[in-house]
Amino acid sequence: MTTLALYSNKGGVGKTAAAVNLSYLAALSGAKTLICDLDPQSSATYYFRVKPRLKVGAKGFIKGGKQVYESIKGTDFENLDLLPADFSLRNLDVAFNKVKRSKKRLRKILNPFKAEYDFIFLDCPVTISILAENILNAVDYALVPLIPTTLSVRTYKQLLSFCNKNNYDADKIYTFFSMVDRHKKMHRETIATVSKAYNGVLQSFIPYLAQIEKMGIYRAPVAVFSPASVASRSYQNLWDKVQNTILYPH
Amino acid sequence: MQHNLKFKIPDGHNEKQFIGKLTAQYALKKEPAVAEKLTICDTFDWRLFNKSLVLYASADRLFLRKLAADEILHSAEITSLPSFIWDFPEGELKRQLTPIIKMRALLRLVEVQSRSVSYRILNADQKTVARLAYEEYRLWRRKNRSSLARHLWLKPFKGYPKYMLTLAKQFREAGLKIDKKEDLYFKALEVVDKKPGDYSAKINIQLDPAMRSDQATKAILRFLLQVMRINEAHIGKDLDTEFLHDFRVAIRRTRSALSQIKYVFPAKTTDRFKKDFAYVGKFSNELRDLDVYLLKEDTYRAMLPPILRDDIDPLFDHLRKKRAKALQKFIRGLNAKKYAKIMEDWEAFLSKPLRDSAGALNATLPIIDLARNRIYKKYRNVVKVGSQITENTEDGMLHVLRIHCKKLRYLMEFFSSLFPGKQIIALIGQLKKLQDNLGDFNDLRVQRDYLLDIIEELPMAQRRSKRIFAAIGSLIGSLDNEKKSVKNAFAKTFTDFASPANQELFKELFASTAQEVI
Repeated sequence: MTTLALYSNKGGVGKTAAAVNLSYLAALSGAKTLICDLDPQSSATYYFRVKPRLKVGAKGFIKGGKQVYESIKGTDFENLDLLPADFSLRNLDVAFNKVKRSKKRLRKILNPFKAEYDFIFLDCPVTISILAENILNAVDYALVPLIPTTLSVRTYKQLLSFCNKNNYDADKIYTFFSMVDRHKKMHRETIATVSKAYNGVLQSFIPYLAQIEKMGIYRAPVAVFSPASVASRSYQNLWDKVQNTILYPH
Repeated sequence: MQHNLKFKIPDGHNEKQFIGKLTAQYALKKEPAVAEKLTICDTFDWRLFNKSLVLYASADRLFLRKLAADEILHSAEITSLPSFIWDFPEGELKRQLTPIIKMRALLRLVEVQSRSVSYRILNADQKTVARLAYEEYRLWRRKNRSSLARHLWLKPFKGYPKYMLTLAKQFREAGLKIDKKEDLYFKALEVVDKKPGDYSAKINIQLDPAMRSDQATKAILRFLLQVMRINEAHIGKDLDTEFLHDFRVAIRRTRSALSQIKYVFPAKTTDRFKKDFAYVGKFSNELRDLDVYLLKEDTYRAMLPPILRDDIDPLFDHLRKKRAKALQKFIRGLNAKKYAKIMEDWEAFLSKPLRDSAGALNATLPIIDLARNRIYKKYRNVVKVGSQITENTEDGMLHVLRIHCKKLRYLMEFFSSLFPGKQIIALIGQLKKLQDNLGDFNDLRVQRDYLLDIIEELPMAQRRSKRIFAAIGSLIGSLDNEKKSVKNAFAKTFTDFASPANQELFKELFASTAQEVI
């Protein structure tokens, strides 16, 4: 069983789109897969046509166990289940702060699912607080989408130094380029610099594409409504890279 | 957790009526129809059915389920339908079925075509919240194509239990009933006129204790004749070794009945048919011996040191060729006038009405008295002979004891309906343990001696290879060792059988007779 987070301390970088498409591709290969929507904006939940409602709310979520398990919904795709988001998840930070061993709580909540699923994907909200620490403690790997711009790189540096300061293993953090526009010189140059400067940079580019935005209209992963598109191929390439570089390196 | 629900579509109704009703409330998304062929299999003697199991092949998989249940116990991928358990792919399915099917061939009982159409039931967000499937079964490529079963399946979808409850309620209100018991298995077999469990080589005859002995004996013999007739028709097809085996056991039992149920028929008749069936038994001996060898091929190979395992091949090739010839010879025997005449006369004798006057001394005796007398005498015989056997006794004595035991076993089986079921079954079980020991011993001895002789028969080209001699020699050694250990186990097995408690039980059940028996 492998747990992967789509995480970033910067917003609007393509976390949800990546989480939805990667979990779909994992399930397509036959692996039992769960995607957990931890973002109160509940976009992943929306893409799978599920109502954004956790019966138990953030408080019940923190308790974990059977009630959280019963909130899991089957998506319309074989092998892929979803733990929906809920608006109350905006209070997760507060809720985590109230419990014992508060930084390892998420890990405990996910533990019972590990027997049933081969992959658990976490679609995370923007955070660098106690929730971020919970995520880093719970997952085997964190995938950070990076828009090849100065500001994004700056935020990425902040994340790495946060890990350093708080003793989180930076080796479990991988990044890939997201919303890439090859026509822009700055994008091309940033990609080259970042690839040289950091470890764990997957050579995979998700271009900035209208097809990806259309996920909101079709309410499905790209590969479902536009299987031969560039967008679909980009995510397949990213999933291949994740497998070949991170999960099953030669 | 919610389960799939199977609703039966009532006769005179159409699935579209029920599906149509749903479309008023939900959007339905139809998926492509799937057609499959199902081949249901069992052995000739219904070994799977007797264990309440259903084995069927569909597409490129074999499935095993319990009768009257839809849940699959095991399945395995196959490239073609296996005929024998040793053709199965390795795995749980094979492990579970090996002790049940053993050496019998799997026969295709019936081929059924299933056609199913699935629908996703969608909510207002176009999200799947439940599944619906229409399923119908017909005979595969037959003129009689009326449907065997039609069902609507309602299948829950994870995370949407309320929809399932509502839909199930709506189905019930529309007049659909949940189909729990009806198994397609029975329906399909009925249409092709097959009756599950209609053949078993086990003796199953209900006798009345007051019945005349000649009448009861004829009933037993008629049962055995039927077993011969059923099996003789299949031996030539060479499906598996057990048609011949059951045929031979029926002959042996017939001979045993003729000699052990004494003085019920005129001496002339008894003598004639004793000779006739000795002849019939004899002309199948060679074929059966070869079958036994070939069935043991894997066991023998495993006995050999790995270095010699391939060197035994010429022996089995030789035996296989020999068997092909023996089968042809046996079939010629079955088709010969002599055999036909024996069976005709025998059938005529068994169906002839009884004479009022006794044609033999015990003919009119109530069967219960004769049964008690014969069983008890034979039992004492077994105990007497067995008690004389020590470590130093010759092997031949064990053979004599084995024959006595066999006669006792047959008598107990012929007459088991006359005695309390539980006790007779327990005693037969005890006897079987002793017989197994004696049988193993005898088999090992016969096989060892046969191997010694077979060397002479091997073609010259093979006799030049020294390794075949080494392999056969090694096999003889292993068989001899095993024979010794089986003989060592005899003493304990016999003591158990002849225990005071058992002797007491035999005495109680069989010792007293109301009338004098000759």
